[in-house]
Amino acid sequence: MPAEQLPLPELPSIDHPRLRLPDRVNPMQPTAVDAAFDHPDYFFEPWWPGVRAVASAERGRVRLQVAGLADAEAAFPELEELPDQLAEDGVVLDGTLLVLDAEGRPDPELLRARLSGRQPHAGRPAYVAADLLWAAGEPITRRSFRIRRDWLEAILAPGDRITVGHGYRGDGTLVAEALARLGIEGLSARRLTARYRAGAAGDAWLRAPVTPAQPRPRPTLALILRLPLGEPQA
Amino acid sequence: MWRGAIQFGLVTIPVKLYLATESTGIGFNMLHASCLNRIQMKIYCPFHDEVVPRSETVRGYEWSKGRYVVVTDEDLEAVPLKTIRAIEIAMFVDAQKEDHGAQFVKSAYYLEPDPVGKKAFFLLREVLADTGKSAICKVVMKDREQLAAINPYASTMLLTTLHWPDEIRSVEELAVDAGGIEIKASERKMAEQLIASMTGEFKAEEFQDDYRQALMGVIESKVAGEEPTPMARAEPTKIGDLMAALEASVSAAREARRDAAAGAPTAKAKAAGGAKAAGRAKKAEPAAAGERQTRRRKTA
Repeated sequence: MPAEQLPLPELPSIDHPRLRLPDRVNPMQPTAVDAAFDHPDYFFEPWWPGVRAVASAERGRVRLQVAGLADAEAAFPELEELPDQLAEDGVVLDGTLLVLDAEGRPDPELLRARLSGRQPHAGRPAYVAADLLWAAGEPITRRSFRIRRDWLEAILAPGDRITVGHGYRGDGTLVAEALARLGIEGLSARRLTARYRAGAAGDAWLRAPVTPAQPRPRPTLALILRLPLGEPQA
Repeated sequence: MWRGAIQFGLVTIPVKLYLATESTGIGFNMLHASCLNRIQMKIYCPFHDEVVPRSETVRGYEWSKGRYVVVTDEDLEAVPLKTIRAIEIAMFVDAQKEDHGAQFVKSAYYLEPDPVGKKAFFLLREVLADTGKSAICKVVMKDREQLAAINPYASTMLLTTLHWPDEIRSVEELAVDAGGIEIKASERKMAEQLIASMTGEFKAEEFQDDYRQALMGVIESKVAGEEPTPMARAEPTKIGDLMAALEASVSAAREARRDAAAGAPTAKAKAAGGAKAAGRAKKAEPAAAGERQTRRRKTA
């Protein structure tokens, strides 16, 4: 009797995951503050001099979302190895794409060369993950950053190119001093109890300038990207 | 080298001019690909269909399309020019002021005073330096009257030849339109921060022509009979090294604070509090772990 037949429940499978990862994420945008500070509810990380990138891994495939770049996967093919380092599938990471020079320092020039497509093999790309938005095919943006961060550390094994960024809780001014020595000009502060917000972060994510120990010989990309000079050319 | 005299009013200062710059670009010669001999450029006349020796050529000025007048050496010598052999100072302007066309420079020449004109030379130099003025002058060099500016430079003075106003193109041909662009106060502040953070003293010796050096490297290895080595491949660098550098820097900053606190007992309490708050936010706190397990059960 066909009328009585109930439809079979749809089982999650490799071909039909419970939820598809979003094609695009509206990334959280930090709020600029004037200076570094100390606060036990905040988690402080370097503002790595690179470009913001949302990385998704679904069924072994990696997608990169970089503002203004149509085909970021092609510009950074090295990041295809991301799924090998993940303990779960259906993952969306928020982080920073860097290109390292021969000494392992982030090099804005090499990054620009990659982004513009002028030198598709310039430098050595790296990805520093800072936040986890989706895990095991489910959004977790409503969870607190403390949990998302802890989860991120649990599912992403550090590799040569991709890693979870190191950060420090509470002592923002100490991290700022350390960053000044490294020549990194920004400090990221995420509130541990905050959920991930699309768009303006409010007090969930702050960005403070770090005064470098010496004037830098050339602008870092981090500073350039902060300027309203439009999107980088794809 | 050019020899002449600076003239203004009734003062005449005999000087020599030396080109202040030299081109360090790498020059190439054109060779015949099969035999690698230098190719010669012959002057060729298409009307007679023959190669013309240089002695049989004259100067022509195209005054209308395809029509020329011949200008001889004698004609050039007869040009009535007051500024021949003289650097005729016309006026003095504020050296720092923009928009007087003095930023369109051609080449720079050092001035060297003749022994007889030494006193006047250094008097002019000192007064220019003290008053912040540039001398605008005209000088004839290489058959041309040139506009130039004289400024004090190091122990001497520098003569920079300038473009004539009709040689300077108008910016109106460009698509520069600042209309409709709104700059927010915060954006301006960021730009000012960027500029402030990169403000320093310009030391030209800190800059170098990287392209020229790399090209010279390729040429040198070819001269030595080697195939040019492609740019040394960077050793694989690891993102972990960067994290280690960060850890080391944070440790160093912490040490520095501890030392500062030990040195100044009054600051101790504050520093101790800071050290307690510091430390990596690590591993789940019990509440967080609990929440996670709950989720696991739900999704299982």
